[in-house]
Amino acid sequence: MKRKWILAVLGLGGGSAVVSCVESDGNHTKNGPDGYPYEVATTVGMITDIVRNVAGEHATVEGIIGQGIDPHLYLPSTPDVKSLRRADLVFYNGLMLEGKMGDVLDKVAASGKPVHAVTANPESSGDYVMTDNSNHHDPHVWMDVAGWIKAVEVVKTSLADYDKAHQTDYEKNAAVYVEQLRKIDDYAKISIASIPEGQRVLVTAHDAFGYMSRAYGIEVRGIQGISTESNAGLRDIEELVDFLVQRRIPSVFVESSVPRKNIMALVEGARAKGHEVKVGGELFSDAMGKAGTYEGTYEGMIDHNVTIITRALGGVAPVRGLNGKLEE
Amino acid sequence: MNWTIDDTWIVIIGAMCAVACALPGCFLVLRRMSMMGDAISHAVLPGLAAGFLLTGSRASLVMFIGAGVVGVLTAVFTQWVSKFGKVDRGAAMGIVFTTLFAIGLIMIRQAADDVDLDAGCVLYGAIELTILEQPVRIGAFAIPPAALMIGSVLIANLLIIMLLFKEFRISSFDPALATTVGINANLMHYLLMTMVAITTVAAFEAVGSIIVIAMLIVPPATAFLLTHRLSVMLVFSVVIGVISSILGHMGALSVPLLFGLKGTVTSGMMAAVAGGLFFLAWILGPEGLLTTRVRGNREIEKPGSVPAGETG
Repeated sequence: MKRKWILAVLGLGGGSAVVSCVESDGNHTKNGPDGYPYEVATTVGMITDIVRNVAGEHATVEGIIGQGIDPHLYLPSTPDVKSLRRADLVFYNGLMLEGKMGDVLDKVAASGKPVHAVTANPESSGDYVMTDNSNHHDPHVWMDVAGWIKAVEVVKTSLADYDKAHQTDYEKNAAVYVEQLRKIDDYAKISIASIPEGQRVLVTAHDAFGYMSRAYGIEVRGIQGISTESNAGLRDIEELVDFLVQRRIPSVFVESSVPRKNIMALVEGARAKGHEVKVGGELFSDAMGKAGTYEGTYEGMIDHNVTIITRALGGVAPVRGLNGKLEE
Repeated sequence: MNWTIDDTWIVIIGAMCAVACALPGCFLVLRRMSMMGDAISHAVLPGLAAGFLLTGSRASLVMFIGAGVVGVLTAVFTQWVSKFGKVDRGAAMGIVFTTLFAIGLIMIRQAADDVDLDAGCVLYGAIELTILEQPVRIGAFAIPPAALMIGSVLIANLLIIMLLFKEFRISSFDPALATTVGINANLMHYLLMTMVAITTVAAFEAVGSIIVIAMLIVPPATAFLLTHRLSVMLVFSVVIGVISSILGHMGALSVPLLFGLKGTVTSGMMAAVAGGLFFLAWILGPEGLLTTRVRGNREIEKPGSVPAGETG
């Protein structure tokens, strides 16, 4: 009887010993592509957009998290993971945007494979990334166009590193793309500034707009926390309703990748207190619009958000946005 | 279908996970504690929160230890509540895991509201992601780390159940008899529960929650429809677990294609296949609907209503 127990304990120990006595795999970094176009895999659409523009004809790009999908809750399927494995280069956002998959990608990146977090720019890592007091980062960097330009730099450098033969092409393409982004950045600054100051408040379903707030001087209130999974408490809703009524905020906004239930609760609550709040429109926060449309590009996504916010809060912006390409 | 070594690994990891869960799962089903895995999946939340509050980090190891400790506590508390509160184990589990989950929610709300802290985000893995991790090299083989983790748990479970088979069997069916022949039934119970807690938390970390919850219950329940001998039931549940993994992954790759979609997640399909096998056993098994109908009123021979496993 006693011997059996000892054996059982040994069994437990033996099992765990298997784990501890093996060594990790070494690096296999490859030098340069085997042929053209080489394959790049990305996670969210905003990154796919950068890589498409910068890589041009030299690479095919596959984004694995589709439109309208919340990257915090995304679960990869086997074909998705195979795309990541097969790709010559991988770009992801990092800062925990991709949840558990981001964790795994962080580890793969650390092993020396050509896997890059676009937010891991050495120049920006200091004070750019918004961090709360317990040292956790807000991943929604793309909401500030100037910040996303830093991500373009990461992509440009990584592509040029990988495929030195076409370095000048990547630099040229990146310059054109950044130029385009600077225009939308200026447009966003001017448009948001045209909103009357007391009403310059963006109320949305979850805290995805912190960078936008900092870059363009608009106050942001979200019902949920940063992650879309923490539920909104009744208190949060009540506080926000009072805030809306007090400040006479004309509009609140829904998001394409987050259910609109909580926002509708705000509208109802404000109405009960005699203040009519409109739903100003649907914003793109964690995912872009339909592929193939203007809103399905990064530029179009920002144009859409800025234009809708500005107009709904009483500012001045053309109905069809900076480039006259938005759907009405 | 374009099968690669990656697919083979996913099937192997899925199968090992299914077997590691199905072995203790058989005893859970016999003890009417099938929902233990589900209970633990909710109850780990305060462990995650406590781990975070103590260390300020969401690192996997911290979360894993926090979850493991609370997993074991769930089992212990459940036993206490059912023993001293005089409610059945199902209700006791319900009381314990909802309370723990609520405590976890309050802790997060009070102390870490702005942190992305939930089991889905910091603990649960996904079986597809296991092949993305840097493999560990042993000799000529490159093995995904999750395979080693689940493999160790599997080996430990297998050894413990093989060595203490007689003790587990007697104390599961007749704790009073166990005590008279000198087996500490309480100790066996806690050992089993610790096994379940460690297995579930390790498997949550490696492959996510749905596979674990399903494989703790469905293969043993299916096996119980096919046999009432404990040793045979264990073997059947292992076989059913392995089949679920193989068919589940193949299904995840191929079924969505029929509808013009990209492949779906393997974990869901594995659980669905296990459910399908249960359905088949329920219809076609020795005591299944169809079988008893065919046998008709000729003779009614039931092997007794007690889930007895007289021989090992």
